[in-house]
Amino acid sequence: MRGRRIAGTLLLLVLLLGAVVGTYRSVRPVDDDPARRLAAELRCPACQGESVADSRSPIAAAMRDVITAQLGQGRSPDEIRTYLVRRYGAEVLSAPPARGWGLALWLVPVLALGAGAFPAVHAYRRHRRPAAAGSRPRAADAVVRPAGPSRPAVSAGRVWTAGAVTVLVLVGGVAVAAPRLADTSRPARPPDPAASADPVPDLLALARTMEEQNRYEVAAEIYRTALHQQPADEIRLRLAFTLIRIGQAAEATRLAEAVLASRPDTPDALLMLGLAQRGNDPTASTRTLRRFLDRAPGHPAAAEIRHLVGSG
Amino acid sequence: MTGQVGTGALGVGLAASVAATLLWLRHALSPAAPVRSARLATVTALTAAVVACGALEWALLRHDFSLRFVAENGGRHVPLYYTVTGLWSALDGSLLLWLLILTGYAALLARTVPAGDRRLQPWAMTTVGVVVVFFFALSYFAANPFHPVSPVPADGPGPNPLLREHPAMGLHPPLLYAGYVGLVVPFGYALAGLLAGPAGRRWTIPARRWALLAWTLLTTGILLGAWWSYAVLGWGGYWAWDPVENASLLPWLTATAFLHSIRRPHAAERTGWPVGLACASFLLVLLGTFLTRSGVVASVHAFTESPLGPILLGFLLLTAVGTVLLIGWRLRVPADPGPSDGTAPLSRSAARTFGPTDAALLGNRIMLTTIAAVVLAGTLAPLLAEALSGSTAAVGPAYFNRTVVPLAIGVLVLVGLAPLLSPAGSAPGELARRAAVPAGVALAGMAVPGLLSRPGPTVLAAFGCAGFALTATAVDLRRRLSGDGGWRAAARSGRLGGPLAHAGIALVAVGAAASAGYTGSVQRELAVGESLAVSGATARLTAIDRAGGDTGMTVRARLALGTTDRPTATAVPELTYDPRHDLTVSSPAIRTGLLRDTYTTLLAVSADGRTATVRLAVNPMVSLVWAGGALTALGGLLALPTTRRRARVRSGGVSGESARPAVPAAPGAVG
Amino acid sequence: MTGTSHRRRLPGRLALRRRWVPLLALLGIGALGATMAVRVADPESGTDGSPVSAPGAPPPPLTGHSLSGTPVDLAGLRGRVVVVNLFASWCGPCRDELPLLAETRRRWTSRDLQVIAVAVRDSTTAVRALLAETGAEELTVLPDPAGATAVNWGAFGVPETFLVDREGRIADRATGPVTAKWLDRHLTPLLGIP
Repeated sequence: MRGRRIAGTLLLLVLLLGAVVGTYRSVRPVDDDPARRLAAELRCPACQGESVADSRSPIAAAMRDVITAQLGQGRSPDEIRTYLVRRYGAEVLSAPPARGWGLALWLVPVLALGAGAFPAVHAYRRHRRPAAAGSRPRAADAVVRPAGPSRPAVSAGRVWTAGAVTVLVLVGGVAVAAPRLADTSRPARPPDPAASADPVPDLLALARTMEEQNRYEVAAEIYRTALHQQPADEIRLRLAFTLIRIGQAAEATRLAEAVLASRPDTPDALLMLGLAQRGNDPTASTRTLRRFLDRAPGHPAAAEIRHLVGSG
Repeated sequence: MTGQVGTGALGVGLAASVAATLLWLRHALSPAAPVRSARLATVTALTAAVVACGALEWALLRHDFSLRFVAENGGRHVPLYYTVTGLWSALDGSLLLWLLILTGYAALLARTVPAGDRRLQPWAMTTVGVVVVFFFALSYFAANPFHPVSPVPADGPGPNPLLREHPAMGLHPPLLYAGYVGLVVPFGYALAGLLAGPAGRRWTIPARRWALLAWTLLTTGILLGAWWSYAVLGWGGYWAWDPVENASLLPWLTATAFLHSIRRPHAAERTGWPVGLACASFLLVLLGTFLTRSGVVASVHAFTESPLGPILLGFLLLTAVGTVLLIGWRLRVPADPGPSDGTAPLSRSAARTFGPTDAALLGNRIMLTTIAAVVLAGTLAPLLAEALSGSTAAVGPAYFNRTVVPLAIGVLVLVGLAPLLSPAGSAPGELARRAAVPAGVALAGMAVPGLLSRPGPTVLAAFGCAGFALTATAVDLRRRLSGDGGWRAAARSGRLGGPLAHAGIALVAVGAAASAGYTGSVQRELAVGESLAVSGATARLTAIDRAGGDTGMTVRARLALGTTDRPTATAVPELTYDPRHDLTVSSPAIRTGLLRDTYTTLLAVSADGRTATVRLAVNPMVSLVWAGGALTALGGLLALPTTRRRARVRSGGVSGESARPAVPAAPGAVG
Repeated sequence: MTGTSHRRRLPGRLALRRRWVPLLALLGIGALGATMAVRVADPESGTDGSPVSAPGAPPPPLTGHSLSGTPVDLAGLRGRVVVVNLFASWCGPCRDELPLLAETRRRWTSRDLQVIAVAVRDSTTAVRALLAETGAEELTVLPDPAGATAVNWGAFGVPETFLVDREGRIADRATGPVTAKWLDRHLTPLLGIP
């Protein structure tokens, strides 16, 4: 009997340890996507009751892309929230901010719990006091049980207090801890005034997001826009690479040649040119790629190109 | 012709309900007055509502487009089933259904008279009568669906396409209304309890059966609504904290709290909780009606803007003020919970003590009321903020998830504690021994998923508490089933209802937590032959079909689910454009499994028809939400017999007891 | 008279507290009712409250290269009235609206009207096809492939139209398709046409 009890207690302790470790581990979800989490907290302005993360409306999709792009530039979730609130009003936020009337809303659960629990506790206290002091002896009063040794029962009061404290601690713990722990708030960064003035970094981040989503046509379109704003070789080459992926080799060739004209033998430009030529002019392509390998034998793509040239 | 019949029926109903109210009032003031005429008037009102509903249904089926409602909501292309459900797919027709159910309740309540509530029933009938009068007047004057239109159109647009997507449409609104409207009876009894003097003290006994019935129907209605959302709206969830969803949840919460507040009738007499909760439930029903039908909130479930808003708001405020005044005037709660009149038999003194069970029940009331307060505040806050500060603001899921979810987890703990506590209290060792197994299951429920995956602390807490509640309830259920008479006797006595409902709630919690914590989704533009995968599920696009018809354009994406070489199933989500409503409806395809649903939605199709944007989601354990909800409703249903029996037993005792002080109460003693 | 026996049992403090509860409840109901009545009486209030693109505010930047390759910059159009229309080829109402916009531009070019149509989340080929189909090729179309411009302007969807006046401020905004009547009412005064 005693052994069973000890075994049971041990099992409970092991499980408790497992639960604590599991909860601790679980504080940071494994597939944590800050963009999705932020989008889930925003309401789709064109829909009814759907979050930006879930909505299928085009504007919500655009907002998701904007969030991803801005996060990619290192903006904090708070800055992005402010950015969207300035455009869509406070109603874009799914939870009210904890100030002004929003604060009152956050206080509702606390006040309601207090308003319910306080009179109950108060009334219960009043019951007990006369019993303890014996100041108001009432023969017929069955409320207060005689505290004799014959009734080793847990009094209602203790159960109530323990239960209430447990439940309140649990509720408070979950309410306070969960969102804060889950919020992997990155170090606060002062708002960057230059970022909003210069759209090119925005566009590049956006285009990269599109590439990650295999939406190369859209990415190409964005690179083109960015190139108009800022005719830089890096953007030309990114655009060329995107065009190669969607099979528009002619334009990619032109872009790579333009870069080579101003900066001859730039390894990346040679690489793009070589890849772009592969479809129409395999011999020229091999030549260009060999030149690329000569110039930059340590390039990240070199191994693959070597393989390509060797086999082709 | 049909129009005249319908309008005439509404007029007759209005007159009959006014007469019924006055006659019941007379009967309430002087019990000697004959009750037959009052009953007749009540049944006449029911008949009028039946005729009005029948006339509109007839007009819908006959495609009689000379009536405004049919011209706006009927259509020759609509299948028969959705023509029938067309009655409640728009505001005016749904009010008729509302009336039908309301008068049905009134007629049922008029018929059954247990000996115990002879003094209560007339007052309850008067209260219900006032509500019936209001809704007949509303339907007759402000929202008459039988108004003629000219010129008569040749065809109508049919109901909103979202409302003819899913068979649940035939059951969800009627059941929800039946639950909603049913709460008028406990409300009527609560007011009757206040008005009928000392004889009214035991109003909770007849009210309980009605409240339980309404609660069961409301539970089923909410569940079906969630199912409809999941199967039709296509975003993959079933609860969005939409104002209208909240409006249906609010009375459910207070009705649940009410049912728990009268678990021990003798203790219940001593607090204001039951009266407050019964009245709050019905007032919240009226609030929900106002929110849904006035156009003040935007929601997928709301009817479009209508002139009924101010009228409904006026009635709501009038009822609220009247109720509060009545409670303030009549409710007398004994200052201390000792014997109230010194005549109570000593044997009942045990019920007077404030034991652990009472503590748990009080905790339950406080928690459920707090949840209701939070949901109410969150639902109304945007309206208030706009009216007060002029700023538009919204309160969405993030607020509710952060406030309601922790409170709901707290309620789960109480659900688990309930069967462990004994009313009189027990030794600490005894309590610990009983709690050991549920606590072990709870910790295992947190440890295993927590060590194998990372769903987040809230989900783990929900798993743990649900495990605790489920185990404790299962142990309790086994004990009850093994009592004498076996399960048949247990079911018949209604002792199974409570535990089953509790187990259902815990299952819903597990399903909701799992589907919130483990859902995986991905969406991408696919060409035919390409595939996408998430959480172990793969969908390959095999074909895109287009079909045009006179009812609109439909595009279907054929998806092979499973691995690329060995497809195990086909899913065909579709997009339908309805030119009559200028609305594109995306119908998801759901493969339901025991452990997980594979949910595919077609989001868009490129203009050349070669690629389609598809969303693939894996929603784990959503079936548990449906199963748990059904179990909860079943629990409510099984709890019904017990109330009837208890009511009979108790009411016999009560009438005998109340005979002593109350018999001299002459007519007019009510003041 | 039936209540008196109970009433006498109430201690004074408790009775007082019980009186306050209904009073507070009444006050609450009154306040709620009043505010909701305000909302019912004026259901249209406060539907657009986005500060960035609200009427009177300077518009967000709008720069880029049009489909035909010419550079476009809204800031450089100060002194002219600009209609900024967000559209997409996948949106039915936009399709219906484009001819009207093209016609408006043709009509008022002499009055310094400029129309910039922003193609939201759309492919260049689909937009070209739509323009050809609706006879609106001469519109200045700015591609917005990811919808970043639409979000930056605080648009709720397509179609959406903004009017920018000669001082370079947003004068008006229409969510959903615009009609000839709407343009008459809101655009012609900006152009200085009585």
